Amino acid sequence: MLTRRRFLESAAVAPLALNALQGAEPKRIAIVCTIYRYLSHAQHMGDRFLIGYPLNGEWHKPNMKVVSLYVDQKPDGDLSEARAKEFGFTVYPTIAETLRCGGKKLAVDAVLTIGEHGNYPRNEKGQILYPRYEFFEQARKVFEEDGRVVPYYNDKNLSYSFEKAKKMVSAAHSMKFPMLAGSSLPVTWRLPDIELPLNCEIEEAVMVGEGGSDAMDYHALEAMQCMLERRKGGETGVKAVQMITGDAVWKAGEDGRYSKALLTSALSRSDTPLGLTVQDGRTQDLVGNGELPKLVKEPAAYFIEYRDGLKATLLMLNGAIKDYNFAARVKGLGIQATSTQFFLSPVPNVTYSAPLMSKAEQMFATGVAPYPVERTLIVSGILESCLTSKVQDQKRLETPYLGVTYRAPTQSQYARS
Amino acid sequence: MPERLKIAAVTTIYFKISHAEEIVDRFLDGYGWNGTHHHPPMDLVSLYVNQIQKDDWSRERLKRHPEVRDSPTIADALTLGGSKLAVDGVVLVGEHGHYPKNEKGQTKYPRYEFFKQIVDVFQSSGKSVPVFNDKHLSWNWEWAKEMYDTSRKMGFPFMAGSSLPVTWRIPSVDLPRGAKVSEALVVCYGGVDSYDFHGLETLQCMVERRHGGETGVKWIQAYRGQKFWDALSAGVWPKKLMDAALCRSHTLTPAREGFNDIFPTVDDMQRLTKDPVAYRYEHNDGTMCTMLLMNGLVADFNFACQIAGRSEPFSVQMYLPMPDGRTTLANFFSPLVNNMEKMFLTGKEIIPLERTLLTTGLTAAGVESLYRNQTRYETPHLNIKYQPSTESTFWRT
Repeated sequence: MLTRRRFLESAAVAPLALNALQGAEPKRIAIVCTIYRYLSHAQHMGDRFLIGYPLNGEWHKPNMKVVSLYVDQKPDGDLSEARAKEFGFTVYPTIAETLRCGGKKLAVDAVLTIGEHGNYPRNEKGQILYPRYEFFEQARKVFEEDGRVVPYYNDKNLSYSFEKAKKMVSAAHSMKFPMLAGSSLPVTWRLPDIELPLNCEIEEAVMVGEGGSDAMDYHALEAMQCMLERRKGGETGVKAVQMITGDAVWKAGEDGRYSKALLTSALSRSDTPLGLTVQDGRTQDLVGNGELPKLVKEPAAYFIEYRDGLKATLLMLNGAIKDYNFAARVKGLGIQATSTQFFLSPVPNVTYSAPLMSKAEQMFATGVAPYPVERTLIVSGILESCLTSKVQDQKRLETPYLGVTYRAPTQSQYARS
Repeated sequence: MPERLKIAAVTTIYFKISHAEEIVDRFLDGYGWNGTHHHPPMDLVSLYVNQIQKDDWSRERLKRHPEVRDSPTIADALTLGGSKLAVDGVVLVGEHGHYPKNEKGQTKYPRYEFFKQIVDVFQSSGKSVPVFNDKHLSWNWEWAKEMYDTSRKMGFPFMAGSSLPVTWRIPSVDLPRGAKVSEALVVCYGGVDSYDFHGLETLQCMVERRHGGETGVKWIQAYRGQKFWDALSAGVWPKKLMDAALCRSHTLTPAREGFNDIFPTVDDMQRLTKDPVAYRYEHNDGTMCTMLLMNGLVADFNFACQIAGRSEPFSVQMYLPMPDGRTTLANFFSPLVNNMEKMFLTGKEIIPLERTLLTTGLTAAGVESLYRNQTRYETPHLNIKYQPSTESTFWRT
């Protein structure tokens, strides 16, 4: 029954949104990025608009033309000029010129901004100060001055600063241009292919991930958020957060601040347990066999208390696993239906960025963001607040400013066809 | 409470990430399943390892699990040192290990020989129990057929095969039951008499669901090296399906420097692929299948087929979380072990044995065609008819 439905979806429904627009005049796209180097986000995402990408079992070529590019830094290995030459567009020295294609007025139909990678300083909270807000501001000014707006895509979190992120979203809403942002994790394949039912009653959630802050923790938090926003009542905002590190993380587990059953469940979805598995191939119940504290030298827990009472925890477990897995306790559902891996396919292809670019393409083509930018806004704020808690003696931090409310999209948006 | 089932494991070799290690460890240490760490509700009570080498981990497992009997012979593993069959199920893993190759390049894994010894105990005990055989039945068709016939004659449940049919699929879809399939194809990687079998099982687990079910295979022809490229340009198999399958890959080797995910031209494919191999074969009902080993181009298993009434191909990747750097755990063994558990508990075959009988014969026939200078090889012996299981059996929970 499930398979038949899925088959029909893959057969007919999914490609329509994009393919229906193939006959129209190609949309003109400006790319605004920090760096354009092999395997930078700008390269693997931007290239998808130049050479196409795998989508729904085909090599999909967007009916779009990249007409201009801005790169903030040109490190060794910069590909911007080579791409411009090969694909017939121009690299401009400023964002305004990029959006106006060297002319006097906004001359593109959409902006793809990728402010990830490159050499930028970190602040005292360890956040890399990527100039996403600053890029946005320059684009916004062009929209304002030229009296026209176009869809705007922003890769990953909106800004390291929630205040700045909030300004971006407010501007998009008041100036009425569609805006989409965020991570590829919410839209990548899931193993298993599950979605929490809309309006379900979520009692608790645990997400596990690995990697550095504030890069990979953002992805993990957004993956968790795309599941939690589907709960009854929709997103209500965040009341308080706390980030703790070190042995306190294990103690918090003993004290029941997060469910060890959910942690076991999330880890049961991992394909990358380290330690004894790497040594001799054996399977492991990392919670049950007591290996977790031995493997993770610097654990970090991100506790999120939502305004409606839901509690969620992200555990960053460097040294124990290499993938991103989620588990929740949901009223009326078994744990097999509420736990999954967000599948990050291998380097170099990183095919998981293809579904993300298909969402950007969809917004560029239709003028409608397939999911609310508020998701990215709230997670930008959750991450910044957690990192603030971390540097403020890891104390619980009330977050009255995180009153971001929104509803999940009715249609599931992750890759499944 | 009923007593827990006792399972014997009969293996060739036990090194890290060997099939025996992956399968037996899941019985001993459990595995992630349905959102928890699942321990099979049965006990693996004995372990026979044919070759114990420097990289062996079976000694460590026996030490850590002292309840498991270190069996010096297959008969001992089944009788637990007594005179009669004393287990409720047998897992036979005859993959890996140092065994000679024949003149056709087939490794003479002793699955048939092990199976015979298992059956000897069944016969002398007047009782038989379910058996699982990892991968194909035997490199030798006659022996494989004998294994099949023996299990049917003696009436014990017998399952075999690859993890490809039962692993995750991306997307999570099955071929619609009863679909009219004219052409099916898999693009995968690996060697002859090895991963070709996995590619054939990938194809067969899908096409057996077609209208009318399986009808058997008439002939097969292999193409290797330049003949592969000649056949591609002559349209021996549909390029459209090949492209559709490649669009499901997550491991397409970038054809151009500086690009990470770019669709290859035929020239690119020719440059990137090392020693390509194709098996092209026709089923008795006219359905055509093609198995392509394209080492250097992809490192995953991608299926595509043409279904009547659909303009675009149906395609899917059979996803192996492969511990070659991509993962640390070969979790595609989890659904395989879970099916074994189900068979041991219920006495019912979850997967039709005829599937693996056919793919065993196809693997040997592909090798035979290669050996006969890539000529067409008639396969009247593969007149194997069967119906697929009613339920989909791939991993999706």
